[in-house]
Amino acid sequence: MPHEATHPGYGAMLRRIGAGRLGGLIALVVLIVIASLLSDRFLTVPNLLNVLRQIAIVGILAMGMTFVILTAGIDLSIGSILGLSVVLYAGLLESWGLPVAITLGMLAGAGAGLVNGIGVAYAGIPAFIMTLGMLSFARGLAFIYTGGTPIPILDETFYNFGNGYFLGIPIPALVLIATLLASAFVLGMTPFGRSVYGIGSNEEAARMSGVPVRLYKTVVYVISGGLAALAGVVYSSQLGIGTPIAGQGYELDAIAAVVVGGTSLFGGKGSVWGTFIGTLIIGVLANTLNLNGVDPFVQQLVKGALIVVAVFGMSRANRT
Amino acid sequence: MLKSVGLLTTALVALPLASGMAQERLPITNATCDELAARYEKLPFTDILPLDAGPVAIDGEEKPLTIGFSQTGFNHPWRVSMLESLQAEACRHPNVELVVLDGNVDVAKQNNDVRDLIARGVDAVIMSPVESAALVPAARAVMNEGLPLVVLDRDVPTDKTLFIGQSNVTMAEGVAQKMADDLGGKGKIVVITGLQGSSPAVDRNKGMENVLEGHPDIEVLVTGDGQWIREPAVKLMEDWLTAYPEIDAVFSHAEESSWGAQLAIARANRCGDGIRHYTFDGSNAGFKSVKAGTFGADGNYTPFIGDIGLRAVLYTLTGKEIPDAQDYAEPGKTLVLPDSPVVTAANADEWIGRGWGDFEPTPDPCR
Repeated sequence: MPHEATHPGYGAMLRRIGAGRLGGLIALVVLIVIASLLSDRFLTVPNLLNVLRQIAIVGILAMGMTFVILTAGIDLSIGSILGLSVVLYAGLLESWGLPVAITLGMLAGAGAGLVNGIGVAYAGIPAFIMTLGMLSFARGLAFIYTGGTPIPILDETFYNFGNGYFLGIPIPALVLIATLLASAFVLGMTPFGRSVYGIGSNEEAARMSGVPVRLYKTVVYVISGGLAALAGVVYSSQLGIGTPIAGQGYELDAIAAVVVGGTSLFGGKGSVWGTFIGTLIIGVLANTLNLNGVDPFVQQLVKGALIVVAVFGMSRANRT
Repeated sequence: MLKSVGLLTTALVALPLASGMAQERLPITNATCDELAARYEKLPFTDILPLDAGPVAIDGEEKPLTIGFSQTGFNHPWRVSMLESLQAEACRHPNVELVVLDGNVDVAKQNNDVRDLIARGVDAVIMSPVESAALVPAARAVMNEGLPLVVLDRDVPTDKTLFIGQSNVTMAEGVAQKMADDLGGKGKIVVITGLQGSSPAVDRNKGMENVLEGHPDIEVLVTGDGQWIREPAVKLMEDWLTAYPEIDAVFSHAEESSWGAQLAIARANRCGDGIRHYTFDGSNAGFKSVKAGTFGADGNYTPFIGDIGLRAVLYTLTGKEIPDAQDYAEPGKTLVLPDSPVVTAANADEWIGRGWGDFEPTPDPCR
């Protein structure tokens, strides 16, 4: 359909958003069937709730990463931004109270994202380089702030937020689902969201059609940084600790979830629904390997193989 | 490249310790010499290679001495505490200056760091290697320059002036023995290791296996990688509690992972199972958790050996014999430290305040 390829309308866009999602769903279902055959404890309510809680942190990070990757960018700094926000929550909580600590930590996360965005969109620094710099810079700040020592969090309310339930569902899982719904709304229903796809497909064309490309590109990094700080809330409230090494390497887990979920690293194609499924696939796999006591060396190998096979399978599915 | 690169801004830091600047805050530990002087009194090994405070004279001449310290990385408070003990010793000698480099837990960076120290013209090098074999080239470079080289914590299989370290194997045997005794020689355990493949994790596992050989009725249900930290341990324990209805003890290589496992136990409503924890690290917080009954034993792997390292260097530079240095299986000499006792309920009070770190343990969610 050459006509649609040059003028992407809503139909094409919907198809693009849906691309890979069906393949991902099938993969998830197959994995769940295998998991329940391997362990009779897999398909139990407490275990499934555990999985939802376990994927919350990386899932929230992956939502932000989806925005960035849809614009054909990348954000390597989210693990470090999570670490920075976590030590701020822990450090500020005692003397300033919970609301101030959370606000300042979230602002720091969004602020780091703003710096990334300005660097990428206005200064023209490649996203890989800009966010690699922020990866180091934000981590350095977290170490300087703490002197390298974890800060314990003794706040009851905060602990109950990370470890509690609402309507029988772990609160971190609800935070993830809320993030998913909000992200899906922004991407699917707002002019900004549609422009994010447009920028990723063809930045020049988007600019020509009047999309404020630089502003919107900046905004996606602010979203990514802000969501990293939100993931930091889940992290520190669950674990009761603000450690400067929190979130090391999480950016790669988030990227894995995004690509397994069918979003193209070249931008313009994919969705947060796919990312959610990708996060679930990786989370269910880790859970199953643990339930069956698989050797940790072998676990790494299986995870690596899954990422490659899943992405390969989806690229084949998209071609046909 | 993508792993944390840590203290970017303090990659290269000189510590001017001239007497007039004694109150200045030292990098990384952020302590003043006065504060460190108070902590010096509590260091466990100040009686090993004793050295009086005051300027160090070589052939009767008190010229300034620059000592390089290449640390694995400062991404863990244990590593910061090692530096603290080193700075505390340096503070006692006004003509001794430290140059501290952060290896960022990267063998390539640490190899370069050590060469940078040589290029700076330091009088001796103290190194705590990221990895044993990988730092051999750096160690050779130091020895080829004819500089004293003291290696801390992890050895390098090549020539050196002195290696100072504790044995993770015998320490793990102590912790595992306490576990075997508490379990009455029978039970089901799960193991949360430190970062898989790292030498302390390998050695702590070996020590445990040595003891379990003699206790066939203790069954290891499963082993997982806790990476020394809390977050992965929570997930592992959560899944294991789902998979295994009966767990008697958690043998974990790090306190952080043990606290994480306890969190998972509380969340799964399994506090009533009375699952015991056996762990390592030797922090004050860990000792407090032992006292509180959360941990059955804490392997007391002290980071406070930096001061011995500096004294060994100063002994060597002043031509003093290091009394207990002995030959061993590797090239060079070693100074064997007495094993610190495993901290249990019986001696926790005695050790609280002498471990590393001044943070509080996470409150036990089961209590």
